[in-house]
Amino acid sequence: MLPSSLAVVLTGLGLGVGALAVFAWSWRRGLFDDIPAQADLVFDERDRRLERPWETAEQKAERRRRYGELIAPEPGEWGGAA
Amino acid sequence: MSRQDATIPFRGDVEIRLRADASSRAPALVFFSTALVWLLFGSIEGTLASLKLHMPELLTSAGWLTFGRVRTAHLNAVNYGWASLASIGVALWIIPRLVHTELRWPRVATAGAVVWNVGLVIGIALILAGRNDGLEWLEMDRYLADPFLVVGGGMAGVTLLATLLARQAGHLYVTVWYTIAAFLWFPVIFVIGNWPTWTGVESAAVNWFYAHNALGLWFTPMGVGAAYYFIPKVLGRPVYSYQLSILGFWTLAFFYALNGMHHLIGGPIPTWMITTSVVASVLMVIPVLAVAVNHHMTMVGRFGALRYSPTLRFVVLGAIAYTAVSLQGSFTSLREVNRVTHFTHWTVAHAHVGVYAFVTMVLFGSMYYIVPRLVRREWPSARLIQWHFWLVLAGIALYIIPLTIAGGFQGLAMLDPAVPFQRSVEVTLWALVSRSVAGVLLTAGHAVFAYHFWLMVRRRGPTREVPPFHEPVPVVYERPEAHA
Repeated sequence: MLPSSLAVVLTGLGLGVGALAVFAWSWRRGLFDDIPAQADLVFDERDRRLERPWETAEQKAERRRRYGELIAPEPGEWGGAA
Repeated sequence: MSRQDATIPFRGDVEIRLRADASSRAPALVFFSTALVWLLFGSIEGTLASLKLHMPELLTSAGWLTFGRVRTAHLNAVNYGWASLASIGVALWIIPRLVHTELRWPRVATAGAVVWNVGLVIGIALILAGRNDGLEWLEMDRYLADPFLVVGGGMAGVTLLATLLARQAGHLYVTVWYTIAAFLWFPVIFVIGNWPTWTGVESAAVNWFYAHNALGLWFTPMGVGAAYYFIPKVLGRPVYSYQLSILGFWTLAFFYALNGMHHLIGGPIPTWMITTSVVASVLMVIPVLAVAVNHHMTMVGRFGALRYSPTLRFVVLGAIAYTAVSLQGSFTSLREVNRVTHFTHWTVAHAHVGVYAFVTMVLFGSMYYIVPRLVRREWPSARLIQWHFWLVLAGIALYIIPLTIAGGFQGLAMLDPAVPFQRSVEVTLWALVSRSVAGVLLTAGHAVFAYHFWLMVRRRGPTREVPPFHEPVPVVYERPEAHA
């Protein structure tokens, strides 16, 4: 029965083993080091200092404490019309 | 470090982001514009196909208006037209931002969009003319249409890979993993799926290997990757657990490729292959829960943001649908469940939870965030965004819920030898009508969105003294403690 499904078996295995190989290579290259820095890549500094209207007073205070005075968002800042 | 010194790298951050946006402007807009044309076309074709299932006399005079062609044109237009083109557009915009450099060879990517669209026009025209390859999700002509998709997609992929290799960022964000992996996986499965030598049983096996992986190794990484970008970006807080996001990506990479065979439960392929596929499908619970927990915990305490951000509204809805469709998929892959749901409308509803409620919702949300930053205008109307959201939400709910329920009844009726086959059709009739209503609502929602997008590219949005999101006044940054 194997030959009738050889393409699927080999390709499925190839994709899985390929992923494993890339994972191992990435690990050795240190691409999973410094996790907090990776998580922060999505932000530039302006993101952190934008005042978010939905945040509680405590959340805003925490943001201010960590990143300095907040700046006002621009209209449509969050992906939509003002 | 003095205050002045600390200012420099953070100003640089913003400028890098602006340059990255500018570099991807032309290709992203071409991909988005053409994607919307296909979305409208595909919606009309889909609604027409739906109507024909409970109004069989409708538009039967011409061959190109018959169900087999219209439904197939719908599938190819929304998958390779709308979802693929919009996903590539999002990728072209996100990757340069995340690797902190400009998009390499943007004209090549733009040309890729043109080539891809030429292939689509040829493929769908041939489908409507009655010529297709006869394999689900692979109907477009493998010699006359598919090579254009390979070349066009390859051109976009090459620009992204070149951008990745020229990256200035020291790390790779999880969205980059998902997106680049999708661009490596898709050519492999597309070429394997279209390879002309498969026949008989092997052809069926390869067909479902491809069709399932098109969702799992192409659309899913694009959608999940975009959600991992936009949820933290709008909220201004990192994902709950970055380790969990990495776990989710790699377990998807390890397990997903084996999933497709569960579509052939009861079919003439080796039992061990199907069992392996069922096991792999159940193992998908790991990456799905990793993503679900991560997105949910990132949102906790910030659900109020949904009122302010249309992007977040669409993306979070899409992320919830991702969890739902994946868990439903694992459940449906079990033999005991599959013997009921196989060959029923349950499967059709399931596919729409995936490609629409998950992928399309994430793409809508992404475009609401991206397009203003490309055309440097704000969206003209909050009301149109509201209309778009509620029309598509109502539409997809009216689509999925009735069809899933009716599919269950249909399957049970088909399994009961005492019940005439006709009865298994009758129990679905109410859901088929509901689906047509849903099709009209979805098409209306898409028309609203396309009109709004048209206003944007025509620069009809509010004008301002400075382009939005460009920091009109200098901001003195202080080095945050987290970076100290």
